[in-house]
Amino acid sequence: MIKRFLQTFSVVPMAGWLLGAFVAVLIEIYFGNLISYYLYLPKIPVLLGTLVALRDPALIPNVLAYDLAVYFIPVLAVSLLSAPLTNALAARMQKMPLWAATLIHIVAFYAILHLWAGISDYRVLVVKLTMISIILTVSLNIINGYQGEFSCSHPGFMALGAYTSSVLTLVLFSNDKVFGEALLPAALGPWCFPVILIIGGAVAAIGSLAVAIPSFRTRGDYLAIISLAFMFIIKSAIENMEIIGGPRGLSSQPNYASLPMVFIWMALCIWIIHNFTTSIYGKALNAVRDNEAAANSMTVNTRRTKMIAFMFGAFWAGVAGGLFAHVLRYVNPGTFGIQKLAEVLAMVYFGGLNSIYGSIVGAVSISVLGEALRPLELWKWIIIPLILILVMIFRPHGLISFTEIDMKRVLRPRNTAEGER
Amino acid sequence: MKKLVSAVAIACIVVLCFSTSAMSQRQKTIKVGINAPMTGDIPKVGEGSKYAAEMWLEDVTAAGGIEVGGVKYPVELIVEDNESKAESAVTANTKMITQDDVLIIIGPQSSKQAVPAGDVANNYETPMISPWSTNPATTADRPFVFRGCFLDPFQGPVLANFITEEFGFTKAAVLYDVASDYPKGLAEFFKAAWEEKHGEGSVVAYESFTTKDTDFSSQLTKIIRSGAEVLFTPQYYNEVALIVNQAKDLGWDKPIVGSDSWGSAETVELCGEACYGSFFSTHYAAAGAQGATKEFIDRYNEKYGYVPDDVAALTWDSLGLAQAAIEGAGELTGDIKKDRRAVRDALAKVENFEGITGNMTFTEEGDPQKCAVIVKISDTGAYEFYKSICP
Repeated sequence: MIKRFLQTFSVVPMAGWLLGAFVAVLIEIYFGNLISYYLYLPKIPVLLGTLVALRDPALIPNVLAYDLAVYFIPVLAVSLLSAPLTNALAARMQKMPLWAATLIHIVAFYAILHLWAGISDYRVLVVKLTMISIILTVSLNIINGYQGEFSCSHPGFMALGAYTSSVLTLVLFSNDKVFGEALLPAALGPWCFPVILIIGGAVAAIGSLAVAIPSFRTRGDYLAIISLAFMFIIKSAIENMEIIGGPRGLSSQPNYASLPMVFIWMALCIWIIHNFTTSIYGKALNAVRDNEAAANSMTVNTRRTKMIAFMFGAFWAGVAGGLFAHVLRYVNPGTFGIQKLAEVLAMVYFGGLNSIYGSIVGAVSISVLGEALRPLELWKWIIIPLILILVMIFRPHGLISFTEIDMKRVLRPRNTAEGER
Repeated sequence: MKKLVSAVAIACIVVLCFSTSAMSQRQKTIKVGINAPMTGDIPKVGEGSKYAAEMWLEDVTAAGGIEVGGVKYPVELIVEDNESKAESAVTANTKMITQDDVLIIIGPQSSKQAVPAGDVANNYETPMISPWSTNPATTADRPFVFRGCFLDPFQGPVLANFITEEFGFTKAAVLYDVASDYPKGLAEFFKAAWEEKHGEGSVVAYESFTTKDTDFSSQLTKIIRSGAEVLFTPQYYNEVALIVNQAKDLGWDKPIVGSDSWGSAETVELCGEACYGSFFSTHYAAAGAQGATKEFIDRYNEKYGYVPDDVAALTWDSLGLAQAAIEGAGELTGDIKKDRRAVRDALAKVENFEGITGNMTFTEEGDPQKCAVIVKISDTGAYEFYKSICP
């Protein structure tokens, strides 16, 4: 039955799914309040109604009815009915350069996401935090997946980026009690924010040298230990620096990390890291992971390759930290501790090693599950680890490991046979 | 397949038609949000807050709801777990404000969650009372954010004055955790107040350690050698037990004084006899309490099996403040934004609220003016009321 179901929908191209989602979002925007009113739901359910359903199980049928009426039926119906049209569209886009077709899809996807999230500010926040976890997870996957090491310093890099960018925005663009008057007009702020994020990332990358230089002389567990130590050093250092707030942290960063800003950075991160891993450096990195001596004999400069990959991962962690600080508008050193590390590691290993696709799946599922199971309180911390354990037993490399994104395949029209593409 | 689908559909429709709990959703209720650390580092704090809130809800429900402008509204509690994390406290607050339409939020308890969560509440113009957060940044420049406890800049001088007046000492030692925001801030305020009284250098030893340290012998040896007459250590209960016991072992026989973080029932349990005879300042004293305070303690003890600590008492008071503000809001229009503003204005105007942790009046900043209580740990290990010091 499931097979037949899947077969029916195998003719729908990516563009068709996007169209279906778009229609569903429009329905929710225009009729969501009405539908939820008649279904006795208190409000438009945010995360497919899980929050409402778990709090009050009597509402489960109502929530299911809502999901069916607003999401499943419109998405399935529209995507299936429009399949001939969208397939023609996909065929036309296939003739365009790949980057253009991809860009069109991404813009369309963002538009849908923006409309969907715009319904509730809570959704916006959840989406932002999820996208930041995606950046973190994908960047950690470079080190723990593609490079095959075990690094524990990602929260430390994140802290470096978060603090650097926070200090910069506070000094430059806001009247702060600690740092005094703004040095530049506040109107410039949002435009300079990307530069500030890059500086934050660069500081994290330079900081990562402190781990990379001593530990890449050897292989094995040393990196795990040194990087763990690095994380604690960063945390204690910030705790002891009174000028940046010490253990009390920094607050009231300007509100620059808007939804499009975070989305663009996430898209950039995925694109650049994807290119990196499929480039010669990425191949060299995989060679080093599989057999360092062999790679060395094949003229790969192993030390340099490892250093570059490590710094590259740290850079993106720094960027993620900067975004994180400006979404929450508060940072304190306590945030960047063992708990954060466990979270990111769980996302990487849950999603799958050596796969950007897997990292995205891991980051999204763990963050969204964490939000959606909120009403369960303590049980949430039993269910999520349990899922993790099950994944580790049945898929030791994670849900989707060693798979690359192939945009051409994803975007292709589906009405023709595989071989013709 | 078809049969299954139609069966599910029919079941859904039938349940929809008869679901009574769904019907009752339409009734107008007052929703009060609780943002508490139910899981994470300090679950006991979350539990205390939740229990206090449940007791409050019981009272309100028994009274038929809260009466505003002549109409009685039923009350609903929305308890959200902030996992003792800053980002989770922010998402919890955003969810309660935008999804659940809460009228007022109680919590988060610790400053590291209350500071960012307060920003959210203020941006959405929703009144919030943090019962336990002592960081000035929580309420600073945020007209919608209030707190239920006194601040460290008040507590530090209170203790300095108390020690001076009670014992007439002039030389003090301080031992604190440099990596934790609360002890560090309090140690600084105490030092400043003490040195102002007794001159530069009168804090003869100012020693620090880092969170999760368990051996304090080198710091304590320095303190003993410095000739200090009293030791001030604003630590949490688990560290207090270690510090006090190690100090006694090293031959320290002078008084040890602590702050409101000592006020957990665990302090004496872990510390044992070494702590007997010590003093600390806090929000309320359980032993020897009278009137409404005693009533609250007895009820809580009977219901949950232990004496409530200061978090529970402060949450109880914050809920009382919230209730007073809602009742004083005039009327509920049904426009949640307007109602929240009305509640906020009423809250700022609350005067001499009689709480179980003392009488409160809010300052401009949303911080209460209230008295601190000095508690002595008696020879049987009970927290005895010793003295009350008002600003």
